Amino acid sequence: MKVLRSLLLVEWSGLLAAIVIGSVALALVSPNFLSEFNIYVLLRSLCVSLLVGFAQMVTLGVGQMNIAVGALGGLVAIAFGGMMEVYGVPIVVAVPLALLIGAAGGLLNGVLTVRTGINGFIITLATASAFTGIDFGITESIPFYKMPPALVAFGDQHFGAIPALLVAPLIVAALLGLFFSRTVPGRQILAFGGNAQAAELSGIPRGRTVVLAHVLSGTLAAIAAVLAVAQLGSAQPTIGADWLLLSFAAPIIGGAALTGGYVSVLGTMFAVVLIALIQNGMVLAKVDPYWVQFLLGALILAAVWLNRWRAIRTGTGG
Amino acid sequence: MSEEAISEAPAARRFKIGALSGQFGLAVIILVFWAVFSFHAPGFLSSFNIFNLGRALAVDIIIGFSQMVVLATGGMNLAVGSIGVCAVMTSGYLMQTLGLPVWVAVIGSLALGGALGWLNGFAIVRTGVNSFIITLASANLFSGGMLILTRAVPLNALPFSVGAFGRMKLGFVSPMLLIALALGVALFILFRYSVLGKQILAAGANTRAAAMSAVPTGRVIVIAHTLSGVLAAVAGLLVVARLGAAMPAVGGEDWLLPSFLGPVLGGTLLSGGFVSVIGTVLGALLVSTIRSGLLVLQIGTFWLQLFLGLILLFAVLVDRYRGLYVERQKIARP
Repeated sequence: MKVLRSLLLVEWSGLLAAIVIGSVALALVSPNFLSEFNIYVLLRSLCVSLLVGFAQMVTLGVGQMNIAVGALGGLVAIAFGGMMEVYGVPIVVAVPLALLIGAAGGLLNGVLTVRTGINGFIITLATASAFTGIDFGITESIPFYKMPPALVAFGDQHFGAIPALLVAPLIVAALLGLFFSRTVPGRQILAFGGNAQAAELSGIPRGRTVVLAHVLSGTLAAIAAVLAVAQLGSAQPTIGADWLLLSFAAPIIGGAALTGGYVSVLGTMFAVVLIALIQNGMVLAKVDPYWVQFLLGALILAAVWLNRWRAIRTGTGG
Repeated sequence: MSEEAISEAPAARRFKIGALSGQFGLAVIILVFWAVFSFHAPGFLSSFNIFNLGRALAVDIIIGFSQMVVLATGGMNLAVGSIGVCAVMTSGYLMQTLGLPVWVAVIGSLALGGALGWLNGFAIVRTGVNSFIITLASANLFSGGMLILTRAVPLNALPFSVGAFGRMKLGFVSPMLLIALALGVALFILFRYSVLGKQILAAGANTRAAAMSAVPTGRVIVIAHTLSGVLAAVAGLLVVARLGAAMPAVGGEDWLLPSFLGPVLGGTLLSGGFVSVIGTVLGALLVSTIRSGLLVLQIGTFWLQLFLGLILLFAVLVDRYRGLYVERQKIARP
């Protein structure tokens, strides 16, 4: 009983239970669920989503938000695809350049937020619009189709049901876990998010910490964009257009504090898995795709309520 | 302004001048854009274009108002677009599918908008969770619900009078613009002269202080969100009249940026406690002007997003430094 109680207080326990119950139910209802192909499709859809969730998680950690995750992703995607198709840049050069563009976009967000002292929401809303404008202005909404065969092959490669692409988010997750638990900058980001004033009084540099979080967020969005291009086999300007809700849903359902100071890499991952499972289940059950949006909204509200209830029960903040 | 002139003005008046100069600057920017557009594209000042600009402006103004009343409380409403589209489809359903008279459909849609706004406010006050996340979730809940119920099928066999109202001209402006301006006057009176308006602003400026001064902050926030929902529904109804049809693709995330552009360009504080109705109208005018001008110049809508983003950035930066300047002047001469 005591074990059960303490397990209930871990933020991702409910998620894990939901995933297990959901999987069993789906396997019982639909025999197709456990087919190798379906599991492959499910795991493949996780790759980009995980990174999108991480990109927002980092900014939530420092107590900010990044509305530009999707817009930056779209811009990086077409820049990445464009430089390979139009200028023939090899993949080994294009990938670092793409990540650099993402980091630069994050740097812009971070510097503007810190230097002006304006709410990060409005700054990233503005830069999001600017990034999207550049994205569509350059491409006139025509995708880049001629991707290098090696990239497309990597996007399709799989070992049994496990896609090769999944390596990227797993490595990133491990690094992020280490970053937030073991490194000084990671701890500083969380300390600053938890209590900005106390952090500053303890000598944590305010500007550098917030900028670092935004740069990291931009880089993660760029990795997501590169993976999306590899997965689709083309650089679509609309990549990222539907990331906004997911980017907030994953970390928040995963237990990140909206006010900053607390993130859970594992929780975010479980949340992404749960969302993918719901989407997969709806496809298998041939439910209207419109239900996905509706359920995601409901899930966020439920998670927010649950987090609040847990906070009251454990007496950790009100 | 010279140092001497500033020192003569009392501090409060100086702050007001600071806010006013922002609106003056906005008006100058709008005039410059009008001059540039009409010089490069004579079609910009044609009665056809002015009429269309006026109709788009009416919607932009009301979307801005819808966001403004929530910004006044220090919160934000990401569900403006979804409430708008829910009102659009409700009006279509009531008029076309149920065959009810237009005025019933209008009242029904406004009531739905108010109810959805109330839900937002209720959830925010009850959970104490950030309005951003509640309205992000509810926006998807509302849009998703609308799509499930309507199956994304547009309703375009509306009564003739609806489209006729959309095409109606009073001189060279649309009556829609008059509706928007009338709402502006009503909101101006609400925030300037009524107890409720003052309470909303007080709750936004400092929730705890307001609560200690016996302002029912919870109720005030719920009322602001309800009002925001009704205004979003009005904007949705104007779009129905303009298109002569109820389209499930209007509103949504497309309204997110314009809803913030108007109030923020016009000087409404994101932190709450201060709104500017006239500023919101001017901000919306700038947005509509740029959109219409780029269209007439055939630059294409692809770059529009970039321009709007840069203008928003520019406006918040200027506003920030103007605020700092005013503060510094105040400290320099107590």
